[in-house]
This record gives sequence, C-alpha cells and structure tokens, in this order.
Amino acid sequence: MHKNGADAASVVRDTIYRATMALDDQKWEDWLGLCEPEFHYAITAFSPEINKDMIYLQGGRKDMETLVRLLPKHNTDHSPLRRHTSVYTVDVDDDAKSATAVSSFVIYQNMLDGVNSHIDSGESRLFLVGKYHDTFKLENGKAKFVKREVRIDNRRLDKGSHWPI
Amino acid sequence: MPARNHTQWKANPGLEPGEWVDSRVYSDQTIFENEVDQIFKRVWVPLCHESELPKPYDFRTASIGGEPIIITRGPDNEVRAFLNVCPHRGMLIERRPSGSFLEGQPSGNPKRITCMFHAWQFDMKGNCVYVAREKEGYQDRLCKEDAGLRRLRCEVKFGGFVWVNLDDNPKIGLEEWAGEPFQCLRENIDAEPLEVFHYHKAIIDTNYKLWHDTNSEFYHDFMHYHNRVTGFNDAYFARKNFAFKNGHVVVGTFEVNYENYEGFESRGELSFPHLPPNQWYMVDLFPGFNFNLRGSALRCDIVTPLGPDKVMIEFRGLGLKRDTPEERQTRINHHNSIWGPFGRNLHEDLIGVAGQGTTMRPGTEPRNILHGRHENQTIHDEIGMRHYYDEWGRWMNRLPNNPDQPWQERNKEDAVAVAE
Repeated sequence: MHKNGADAASVVRDTIYRATMALDDQKWEDWLGLCEPEFHYAITAFSPEINKDMIYLQGGRKDMETLVRLLPKHNTDHSPLRRHTSVYTVDVDDDAKSATAVSSFVIYQNMLDGVNSHIDSGESRLFLVGKYHDTFKLENGKAKFVKREVRIDNRRLDKGSHWPI
Repeated sequence: MPARNHTQWKANPGLEPGEWVDSRVYSDQTIFENEVDQIFKRVWVPLCHESELPKPYDFRTASIGGEPIIITRGPDNEVRAFLNVCPHRGMLIERRPSGSFLEGQPSGNPKRITCMFHAWQFDMKGNCVYVAREKEGYQDRLCKEDAGLRRLRCEVKFGGFVWVNLDDNPKIGLEEWAGEPFQCLRENIDAEPLEVFHYHKAIIDTNYKLWHDTNSEFYHDFMHYHNRVTGFNDAYFARKNFAFKNGHVVVGTFEVNYENYEGFESRGELSFPHLPPNQWYMVDLFPGFNFNLRGSALRCDIVTPLGPDKVMIEFRGLGLKRDTPEERQTRINHHNSIWGPFGRNLHEDLIGVAGQGTTMRPGTEPRNILHGRHENQTIHDEIGMRHYYDEWGRWMNRLPNNPDQPWQERNKEDAVAVAE
C-alpha cells in the first residue's frame, strides 16, 4: 500500500458514508456533488431464475441529474429509505490516484404510505440487501465517485422505487 | 353532485350493465377459490420462456393455482412440463427455480430428476427409471413403470414462451385460444429466437384482475409524467383497442415520438423484425397475461393469484437472441428506463393497484368499480375491461356487477364487438 494509503482509505470510507447520509436524506445534489463528471451508476442483480446478470437501471452523471430533477414530477411511494452501510474493503492504487471499495448495505423502508398508512406508517421493513462496488478518483485529499455499482440480492422488488439506491 | 350519503354511494351508478363491476369480484375469498379452480386450472398459462432452459437437461420450476410444476428440456430438445410432485409420498421434487440435471444430485444420478427424499428418479420424459429397493419393498405389487410423473399439456409458442395447461382436455387448443390476438405480433416475435434479459417479481396486496385492468386501460396515463405531459397527441389518442374472442384484447400501434420524452432516445434502430420504427403493440390475454412490444423490447407480465387480495406478478424483458452486447445493452436501457423496478412508470402502476387493493380488502363494503368510458374504442376507452369481464362472467357463471347472480349474456348491441 502507498505510504498515504491509510489516509486515502479513510477518505474513501468517509465519502461512502457521506453518500449514504445524502441518499437517506434525499439530498440528491449533495450526493451528485460527491461524484465526478464521468460518474457511472448502475443497479444490478443476478437472477438464478433466468440465469442472467441483469442491469435494472444505469446511467451516466447527466442521466442521474435528469433522473433526480424529474423526481418531484413523479408519483412515488413516500416512505423514506434508510441505508445501513458497512465498508468492508478499500483498495488504494499504488499511485494513490484512485481506489476501489466494497461495502455491504441493508436498506430499510420506514413506512409512511405502506399498504394502508393508518396501519403501516411508522414501521420499518426490509427493502433491499446488497453491496456497493465503488470506484473513486483521489485528488487534493478528497475521494470522488467515478463509478458505483449497486449489486442487489433481491429479485422480488414489489413496488420498486424511483430513487437512487 | 355533492358528496353522497350511503344510499346514494351504493346505488346503481346509472351506467349500462357491463359498465361497472361489484368490488366483491376483487375481494371475495369464495370467488377467488372459484377462479383458481374454474379458470386458472383450465387455461393456457405462459410459465416461462424457452431461453430460460436453453440446454438439454435444463429445468425451470413454477406453479399454477398452487400446483407446483417443473419444466424440462430433454436430450431430444423437447420442452415438457410435469407436476413437480413425487408420486411416492408427495414430496416437492425440485426445489430450485432453475438449474440443470446434467450433474448428479446428492440423492441421485446425472441426467435424472431425483426426489431427494427417497431417491426415486425420473428421466426427462417423466418416466420413473429408479425406485430405491423396489423389489424388496413392493415385490411385484408396484413397479417403476407404474410410477411416472404427472405430465401436463405443454407447448412452446408465440415468441418461444412455454405454455402449460393443467387440464388434460382443455376447452380449446393454444392456437385457437390465443392465435388471433397474437397475429399482430407474430412476424415480429416469431421471426427469430428471442431471449429473456430481465426478470423480477412483485408481490402486491391486491387482486390479480386489478393488475390486468391496469394493463387493459391507458386512461391511467395521467399517473405518469411523460405520458401526461409529452405523450398525448392526436396519433396517440387515435390508438385503438380491439377485442378478440376468449376475452383477449389488443391495443393497436402508433408511432412513439421519443424525442418528446426527456431522457429518452429513438428505438427505431433496434426495432423487432418487421416492426416499423418506434411502433408499439400490446396483447392482453385473459385471464392475466400481458405482452407489450414497444419497438426494441418485449415485456411480458404473468400473474399468479395468491389470494383475493394478493398477487405475484412476474416481469420479463426480452430481446433478440442474436443481439450483440451493445445492442442488448441498449434494449435493456430502453426496457428498464420505463418498465424496470427502478424505472419511471412501473413503480407508479404498482402503487396504483396497491391502493386499489387497500380499499378492496376481504370484508370491506362492496362498491361499484366503473368500466364505462366509451371513446370509439380508442386509447382511453375502457372496452378492454368490459370485454374481459364478459369472459370472466362466462367462466365463473357470475354476473360481474352482481356476482351472486348467474351470468347472462348481454344484448348484442350492448356487448363488446369482437374483431373478425
């Protein structure tokens, strides 16, 4: 590891957790602010049912900007998502200009709408389980996302979501 | 009219018979059980696509009406379906959703369907080929030749989907059942092999027919941003619904102008074979299957009713088997940007039917659900639902707007005209 690897790894971890909080709080601009212009985002899964790697959603930075800008125009389930992220590994390149990280996440849906908000609101339900596979650009003591693959285990997704995961 | 009192709320809505249904058809446990026995166990159900079991000895499992089913591809390349039940003591034979029998299992040999419980083994044609300690236990009273699997009617048809019917003697064959509505898509989906690239499922607390209703009406365009803001134009509103015998409906095509949709691109270059650029056909099959070809990607919804207020919907996306990786990627993007679990429209459609399910729980007060829009069979006409519930009434021998009463054919002038 580079002599500054430990510091760089810490910066990467910090960025992943900041992204988690921005996404939880639906501060989409803050989240995109952690991403490079060439950022690429994908939600993927493997389906044993059809024996295929699948891509449920993908896009570049511009696509994600459009996606979040249009969110207020869509009807959507109002129940907020809460991510529990644990950074498992951070690998900093020898030149300390880039890094990759793997994090596990569990996402709960804190019911607001539910099936019947009179009954369901206030309850937290398991929504998604998976791992983030992230790639970062390291510069000026900061880590910015170049790529995020959200690899989910779920193929049962019920109502799904409009929001970045 | 101001808000209504209970009597007014419950009154006949003032529409013609066939233009509304009683919400008990969506919530009553007995009606649901009748539907499973009288409809789902007697109709052709598309259970999967042949590309999900591409090689000999591949298998796929599914169910109809609670009956577990296994679909296999034999060494002769034939796709067959059997009840996934061991004839010995009723064990579920194969527990995985898919896989291959080429390799042996802990209790059995390669190339055999093996029940793990007592190691009875079957070949790809459903013949029992091994009963553990057969002579010792059964002497000559029962032999493996008498212990084959329960075979099921199975055909690969209409773009390579695997259709199964639990009824050994179905009312009509698959071609007669669905050939006419599929005519609009046949040269597109039968020109060359297709392949599934997308699968996910939703289990929603709602009745299965409410999902099919949503697929049968486009009036819910108002729920979707792109549809309500940029999708409406004269050509769109002229798009017609066509009713076919057996309760099926086809939504005719029109040319989609994707340049009007922010964040979308034309699908013309990757249109399915023989499909003019950016055209869009949809086939709604009774009692709950949808085939939706939107230029470059084919979507298929299959419902599995789980209760009067619970349904599993399986969503598939398909492209051409010969796609290059780049072409496939583009098709996936086209499919999922709208229809994926994180796409723009599907989430809203599912919220819609979940909301209907909330108000139509078993035990809730019956109410009128309106299907009475007439707009010359065009896109916001609710002809699809009226036609569906006429067929439902025949199969169930119940009047949809008064399900305690037996079915009565409507006057010819009031009934939905079936396409010739």
